Amino acid sequence: MSDSDTSIQETETKPVVENQQELPKFEKDHSDKITAKFGSKTEIAFVKPDRIRVNVKKEDILDVASFLRDELNYDHAESVTGVDFPADKEIEVVYHLGSYTDPQLNRQVLSLATRAPREDDPKPGNDSTKLPSLREIFYSVEFHERECFEMLGVFFEGHPDNRRLLLPEDWADLPPLRKDFAIKGR
Amino acid sequence: MSVIAPKFRLGYFLKSLTDNIFWIIVLFTLVGMPAIMLILFFIDLPVLDGTLLTPFLAFTMIFHPETGVPLLKSLLYSDFFRIAAFPGFGFAALLAAGTIFAERKLLAKLQLRVGPFYCGKFEGILQLMADGLKLISKEIIIPAKADKPIFWAAPILFVATAAAFVSLIPVAPGWVVADLDVGLLAVFAIIGFFPIITILSAWSANSKFPFIGGIRALHQMVSFEIPLILSLLGVVILTGTLNLSKIVESQSNYWFIAFLPIGAIVFFISMLAELERIPFDLPEAESEIVAGWLTEFSGMIYGLVQLGSYLKLYAFAALFVVLFLGGWQGPMVVPPFPAEIITHGIVAGPITIHVPGLPITTQEMLNGTLWFTLKTVAVIFFILIPRGVFPRIRIDMLLSIGWNKLIALAFINIFIALGLLYAGVLGPGGLL
Amino acid sequence: MTARLPPGLQLEKVDDRIMTLNVGPQHPGSGHMRLIIKVDGDYIVSCDPDPGYVHRGEEKMAEYRNYITNIPHLERPVIHDSCNILYPYCLGVEELLGLEVSERAKYVRVIASELNRFTYTLYWLAIYGIFLGHSTMFMWPAGDRELAIDLLEKLTGARVTHSYFVPGGVRNDLPANFEDVCLRQINYLEKRLKAYADIFYDNPILIARTEKTGVLSREDAIRLGTTGTVLRASGVDYDVRTKEPYDVYDELDVHTNVLKNGDSYDRSKTPWLDMLESCNIIRQALEKMPKSGSVRVKLKPNPKGGNDEVYKRVESGRGSLGAYIVSRSKPEPYRVKLSVGSFRNLICMPYLLKGEKLGNMPAVYWSLNYWPVEADR
Repeated sequence: MSDSDTSIQETETKPVVENQQELPKFEKDHSDKITAKFGSKTEIAFVKPDRIRVNVKKEDILDVASFLRDELNYDHAESVTGVDFPADKEIEVVYHLGSYTDPQLNRQVLSLATRAPREDDPKPGNDSTKLPSLREIFYSVEFHERECFEMLGVFFEGHPDNRRLLLPEDWADLPPLRKDFAIKGR
Repeated sequence: MSVIAPKFRLGYFLKSLTDNIFWIIVLFTLVGMPAIMLILFFIDLPVLDGTLLTPFLAFTMIFHPETGVPLLKSLLYSDFFRIAAFPGFGFAALLAAGTIFAERKLLAKLQLRVGPFYCGKFEGILQLMADGLKLISKEIIIPAKADKPIFWAAPILFVATAAAFVSLIPVAPGWVVADLDVGLLAVFAIIGFFPIITILSAWSANSKFPFIGGIRALHQMVSFEIPLILSLLGVVILTGTLNLSKIVESQSNYWFIAFLPIGAIVFFISMLAELERIPFDLPEAESEIVAGWLTEFSGMIYGLVQLGSYLKLYAFAALFVVLFLGGWQGPMVVPPFPAEIITHGIVAGPITIHVPGLPITTQEMLNGTLWFTLKTVAVIFFILIPRGVFPRIRIDMLLSIGWNKLIALAFINIFIALGLLYAGVLGPGGLL
Repeated sequence: MTARLPPGLQLEKVDDRIMTLNVGPQHPGSGHMRLIIKVDGDYIVSCDPDPGYVHRGEEKMAEYRNYITNIPHLERPVIHDSCNILYPYCLGVEELLGLEVSERAKYVRVIASELNRFTYTLYWLAIYGIFLGHSTMFMWPAGDRELAIDLLEKLTGARVTHSYFVPGGVRNDLPANFEDVCLRQINYLEKRLKAYADIFYDNPILIARTEKTGVLSREDAIRLGTTGTVLRASGVDYDVRTKEPYDVYDELDVHTNVLKNGDSYDRSKTPWLDMLESCNIIRQALEKMPKSGSVRVKLKPNPKGGNDEVYKRVESGRGSLGAYIVSRSKPEPYRVKLSVGSFRNLICMPYLLKGEKLGNMPAVYWSLNYWPVEADR
């Protein structure tokens, strides 16, 4: 990717310079708080102006999410995306978190990512592709997790209602957003 | 019907004209005349003043002015004419058709569009005829599990009840189809039928949305009948009679709306609710329950229901005019019939024709009809306008209006009327 | 019924008292989605939204097309707001490919985006009017919308599905004389919008029907993650244009309209106030726009992004619209996810409709600014 990022902002962050020596200060403080609490369980993937990404394992995600909500004031999840990586045999689920109440965090979007193992012959709900649901912590992920379940086959434990949302009721094929599901004619 | 009319060419028109004349002459000569001769062999012609009333004599009598006019007059005053043409079904249907067209145009202008435009050369005036033809040509679909006898009977009953309502309204002095001494009570007995018919047609359709619509219509019509009746008690108190023609006659000096404005307003609002007009068109709420109790009607059955609806609209507006706006009373604007025609006959150069029996229509009748029509049109205009201005009301708001607010206002109106009566201001033996 | 049901179907026992209504896709009161409503008399016991009637698999198909051919494809979820739905995608691709957009292109983008806000919101308002039974409020916005669509047709060549934004700018420059025509029509449109107050927003029946129905408190709005006008009507001051300005919004004076009550009346009034605000934004943008300059960047054929991901947000008519693009050194994106405002607000529907009267259902449901096609993608 090209190194220079020329978006115009007037926050307290410094613009990223050519060799990427300096990371934006506010976001760096933020991510430092997360690493201070959780240490090696989390991995900060990148720190960009207004965007931080945190990778966690699925066992720790509930703790990290509670910490983000209670200490760092992220109060809702903007979207939940599932990305299929057949090469790594994993499915990654990314939660984008934002904050309405904290004025300093209004611009920030924190991506919280975890991975779930992937099987070649999926039986949605009955195989090892399971993740704990964040619905108790962030209520707004309810429909997003349902969509993730039907599109990728990731079962969310603790979600009250793992049902079809967008697909028709009689869909009996692979979950569509997996890479092995090929669109006919392409 | 689906072909756009080709351009007019005089040659084709004359050809079609001569074609038609040819066929009429051929059919009449070869089929019609022998049939008439055959029939004339078998009927006994009556004897009139010593002469045999042959068809030729009958035609002569009709077209000769001296004998024709009394014949025409007796037809005009017969019961059949009253029921069918004026002031009965024909007059009401004409006004109802005019109302439908005027509503569409008025609503269109309010909403910044044009309305019916293509049918008929002048601003789409034949749109109604086109709609009627379309409805007749459509298939009547009945749901499989519907209750067929009631499903067929309900719209016909609807039109019949609306027509019965129309028959009680006096249009001009002496011109009413049914002159009852308890006319106002008969009106309410007939209005009481409408909820029954609505719920019958909703129930017989055997489907969820008509069911909800029918229940809503029942709630609405029943809860607004009471303010309707109460608001008229003021009028009855002031006149002391239930006969509609006498109520109009007692308004010769003043109109009742001047002294009972609250009653008039209560009656107007209850009228809008009985007619299921916006803002009270819950039973037909399109966005919630598809089309309410009319959902399963298609084709001419739907046309009958619409006809009944608009006849009801005319009848209610006419009732409002009769009770509150003075019916046919109004200053005399029709010029009197020239008196010399009655005495000397029509003079045209050297010929003088004596026509006994003129005038056919009296001056009072024409004047009364004119004022009645003007007032009814004005009231219908006010009924049509809320359609462009208000959204639909909700059922609990409707019930609270009907049972709480309107009944309270109607009682206030009754007290005002009683007060005016006992103060000697109005009523029999009053100042006015 | 002991046969096994296919997955996805459920067996339900019919209750004596509770009636199940399908306010279904073929219904003049529901738009193109299905609501399974259980009614007890006149009160709604539960509401189960069933979107997916218009699901076309946009995100899956986006993985088969390269970055440029994705543009006419990704604007289909909201055809008349198409500039706004392409906006975060174009911003994201520009960041991935390292493109720089000229000043004039940014101003043109802002103008097109605000015009699209008109077309969407007027359409939504027209349908809101007809759901409540107000036919004049259906005809007036639908007629006035033609002005905005006319302007967009002059600008982009199409009435809807404009395909106007490309990574690097916009497709073509403004036609000659566009500024004058635009200014005239915006001034006229503003007068017409103010007339809506007389017939709709001050209408006593409307106020009686929508006030205090479907109340969404401030805490609930934040907790449910709502966005857009639904959020601003509940008292939260959050608009992506002011909080995270993109393109030239930081140079324009944008005022967010925040109402306090959170009922259906406020939710129906906020988009109208936003439209009046858009008139001001367009006027400012027309003034401040640089008078000349290129509006498009020449791209190499089949541009590839690196191993990266980007998440960009934009304020559309329905709320904050986000695009999450993951790229893996190929001409096609690896994953495109559109986080749309309608889908985020969908959770309010079962939450608010429980316990409401059936007569309030259209007033509450459509006031959530829900566009079914966009939520289904």
